[in-house]
Amino acid sequence: MTWSQKTDERAQAIIARYPDPRSATMPLLYLAMHEDGHLTEDGMREVAARVGLTPAQVQSVASFYTMYKRDRTGRYLVSVCTSISCMLLGADDVLAAVSEETGVADGDTDEDGLFSVEHAECIGACGGAPAVQVNYELVEGVTPEQGKALCAWLREARPEVVLGDEMQELFGGQRSFEWGPSETAGAVGPFPAFEPYGTAKEGR
Amino acid sequence: MSDEATPGMVKITIDGREMQVPAGDLLIAAAEKAGTYIPRFCWHSRMKPVGLCRMCLVEVEGPRGTMLTTSCTMQVNDGMVVHTESDVVKKAQEGVLEFLLINHPLDCPVCDKGGECPLQDQTVSFGPGESRFVEEKRHFEKPIPISDLVLLDRERCILCARCTRFSEEISGDPLIEFVERGSGTQVLTFPDEPFASYFSGNTVQICPVGALTATAYRFRARPWDLQAAESTCPHCSVGCRISVQSSQNQVLRFQGVDVDSTNQGWLCDKGRFGFEYLNSPDRLSTPKMAGDDGLQEASWIDALDAAASGLMSIIDEHGPGAVAGIGGARGTNEEAYAFGKFLRSVVGTGHLDAQIGDGLEPRLLAAPADRGLIGDLEKASSILVWGPDLKEELPVLYLRVRRAATELGAKLVVAHPRRTGLDDVATHTLRYRPGAGQDLLRRLAAGEGDAGAALAALKEGPTVVITGLAGLTEGPDLAEAVAAFGRDLPDATVLPVARRSNVFGALDMGVSPALLPGRASAVDDGARATLSGHWGADVPDGSGRDTAGIIEGLEAGAIRAVVLLGADPAVDFPDPARASAALAGAELIVAIDMFESVSTSMATVVFPALGFTETEGTVTNLEGRVQKVSRLLPGPGGARPSWEILEDVATRMGGSIGATSAGVIATEIEKVAPAYAGATWDALNTAFGRDGIVVPTADATQPIEYVPVDRPSAPVQRDLVLHLARVLYDGGTTVQRGLSLAKLAAEPAVYITPQDAHRLGVADGSAVRLSGGNGSAELTARFDDSLTPGAVYLPFNLGISVGSGLEVELEALA
Ligand code: SF4
Ligand code: SF4
Ligand code: FES
Ligand code: FES
Repeated sequence: MTWSQKTDERAQAIIARYPDPRSATMPLLYLAMHEDGHLTEDGMREVAARVGLTPAQVQSVASFYTMYKRDRTGRYLVSVCTSISCMLLGADDVLAAVSEETGVADGDTDEDGLFSVEHAECIGACGGAPAVQVNYELVEGVTPEQGKALCAWLREARPEVVLGDEMQELFGGQRSFEWGPSETAGAVGPFPAFEPYGTAKEGR
Repeated sequence: MSDEATPGMVKITIDGREMQVPAGDLLIAAAEKAGTYIPRFCWHSRMKPVGLCRMCLVEVEGPRGTMLTTSCTMQVNDGMVVHTESDVVKKAQEGVLEFLLINHPLDCPVCDKGGECPLQDQTVSFGPGESRFVEEKRHFEKPIPISDLVLLDRERCILCARCTRFSEEISGDPLIEFVERGSGTQVLTFPDEPFASYFSGNTVQICPVGALTATAYRFRARPWDLQAAESTCPHCSVGCRISVQSSQNQVLRFQGVDVDSTNQGWLCDKGRFGFEYLNSPDRLSTPKMAGDDGLQEASWIDALDAAASGLMSIIDEHGPGAVAGIGGARGTNEEAYAFGKFLRSVVGTGHLDAQIGDGLEPRLLAAPADRGLIGDLEKASSILVWGPDLKEELPVLYLRVRRAATELGAKLVVAHPRRTGLDDVATHTLRYRPGAGQDLLRRLAAGEGDAGAALAALKEGPTVVITGLAGLTEGPDLAEAVAAFGRDLPDATVLPVARRSNVFGALDMGVSPALLPGRASAVDDGARATLSGHWGADVPDGSGRDTAGIIEGLEAGAIRAVVLLGADPAVDFPDPARASAALAGAELIVAIDMFESVSTSMATVVFPALGFTETEGTVTNLEGRVQKVSRLLPGPGGARPSWEILEDVATRMGGSIGATSAGVIATEIEKVAPAYAGATWDALNTAFGRDGIVVPTADATQPIEYVPVDRPSAPVQRDLVLHLARVLYDGGTTVQRGLSLAKLAAEPAVYITPQDAHRLGVADGSAVRLSGGNGSAELTARFDDSLTPGAVYLPFNLGISVGSGLEVELEALA
């Protein structure tokens, strides 16, 4: 499979920012995920061809980072932080609740491709522990019940764009601190929302 | 020792010993040169240091006390004080080894590397003796093939990255890399992209454990059972140094030997695994003679009688000029010399050639003015490669050029009809349509248009110009003109190349109508007279035919008998069908070979010859470097050395070439061949050792010095022209008679630009008919956008030939 023209244009624009094309490897891996829903072998080959590496080299980079999902990934990737602050405040129960509600075990994806559930290392919201991310959009102060409700909502509402602020309002609790003006753009898939990658979209 | 350090040197102290070492050296290298071996796994003297394994820790004294540091990443400094055997260092080494062994399976008893394994050896010398690790080790599927030639056992891997660094830094095909970095780090290929590198075998040799093993050697022997002898790779004219290793009269492997002058330790896979043909059950072991039912086994006496009487009756009836000889480039100088002497002095013919219609002007190959050495690449500011795709034809020379262009910063200009292996490291790539090379050369010489920048680069000397035949449909004029252009550059040396193993040696031995032994000209009456004095026989004048001329002679009936020495013109001549038909018309073919071939199938008599590893002698590489080849094995029962066979035929013809042993021939060469004076076996075995001797030596004379000529060839204006060029793994005997390499030969296909394909209604992968100067064939078309429109490319010797004419036609088949 080859990339859509849109994705290819994005790739070229990103490559043009760097003196050496291979520096664009990591951003392009997100484009590849956006294109196929997760990082496929074809995707890695496409990246390799554009940045002048071999697929083996691209695979070497991709396999180091947990955020490059090389397995099938659900439309909503729910990451529950289980590092120390969150763990002390009950993250394991949150994870269990999320798994129960979605029917998806830690590290797994459901049949329909709706949910992937994973535990994550510290996501930088220790002050608002326990913290959860959906498609890398942050929700803080999440109790097991709220975790369940969040997943139920995702299943019912099927938001096209996942927005941290919206989820925080609906399902969050104590935040680490005031993060500033609310973001209006969110994530369109299980990869971080970032305009140049085409993975961000206005929500609500 | 005086207090002042010699310029370029610094003074350091290692374990209380003061010494001077070259400034800029890495500590680990400096210590080794000075006699202190610091253990290591990841560091390799031919690659950049990475400081990964920590085995090379030493203590270095500094202003804030001593500090443990990796000696492979530390440059020596004046006044440096180093401890390599202190308690702290020992403790560190024990720690490193204990960690490295945590996940190591310790399956030494069933591991190929056992007995020559740095991990084993260094654990014994520097390890802790016992491990405190009782937990489960990492487990991986044991061994997985990562290519047709190499297997990977990830449990044994100590993650030193030698293999991955080799593939990126040295060979430039990084098809293996670390993946799952973290507790799961392992070496791996991309799922459907095997480690199909022409150089993959080197990783097996440099892997410091048994993680990488070669299919060709796996479980065949234990290192302590191997007999070894140093020799020279017989597969191409680079002449890489190898160690031939055998057990129970079978060659089991070739390993690269590190010499500065040629291969720097590396080998290509054709060289490394191209030993299997020697053990082939198809080796000839008795003479054969043509019978009603093809070749039949014959006794030596009958075969020798038949060859001698056959040659004599043709000489009687038609004169010695009706006999010709082709070959000699596959064996040693001694065999080539015997061949030339047999033809010129016993038969009395001047028709002889070691090139098979696929070479350059013999005097250019033998004695070009301003000839360069491979080593010149190390100090070159710019390099021009205009000739064969070095990666396909002279692989280790490709590595040397690649190193110059990457590590050493030389500007590289590559001119070829299509993409070559060096293009990705070239500063300028110039492409041309076969037949239009002269136009490009004119533009380059004038610095016109896009060639201007390339010319500017080439004017920065020192420059090395590597030139040879880019393809077989083009005559030698272009390479010659490129050599002439090269000589006109301000500070350039010229390295003309031809591929066939010992072709340079055979030409130097006079197996060419134009040359007498020792780089004398065959048209030089004085040289002929001197030689006939030595030989006690007349030496024919220099008007003999080369291989193309011999084929013509066969067609015209002027040549009636051919003696073949390890040559198969019916396959190797650029137009094989033509050569085959010509040979079929010969009255007599006497062949000396290791195998039956298309050409020997038409022979009257075939003699079984000993080959590489079975005969001692010398060979000469493309620089004119004479090196020894060693005899380690007896060879198949009935086979004999070629020179001995020739001597026996000569005796029956009432003559002699005086060949009583290869050593005797070597002594005669040294005496008779002017440029080879001083290049004796003794000198090669002792004083010069591994680097060989570049001829002519200081006190030898070189009778000819050939100045290349700029001979413009007529420009061609055709619709579709053919680029016909060799690939590394082809239909050649040494590839096809070995289990490992035979399966690597590519499927034949014709390559075409998408533009032409579109015009002709051809799709990628579709069937087409290619018609050329001599025949046509149906085959698959593949797109190649690196060709110039109007050109198609057909790999040579993959079983398809349409002749060697430049002009071709291509039509789509339904
Ligand atoms: S396979 Fe061998 S060379 Fe490669 S990283 Fe492992 S130990 Fe080193
Ligand atoms: S480059 Fe030539 S001489 Fe060297 S190993 Fe390969 S075939 Fe042998
Ligand atoms: S520990 Fe959970 S966000 Fe830091
Ligand atoms: S040899 Fe120095 S760190 Fe490996």
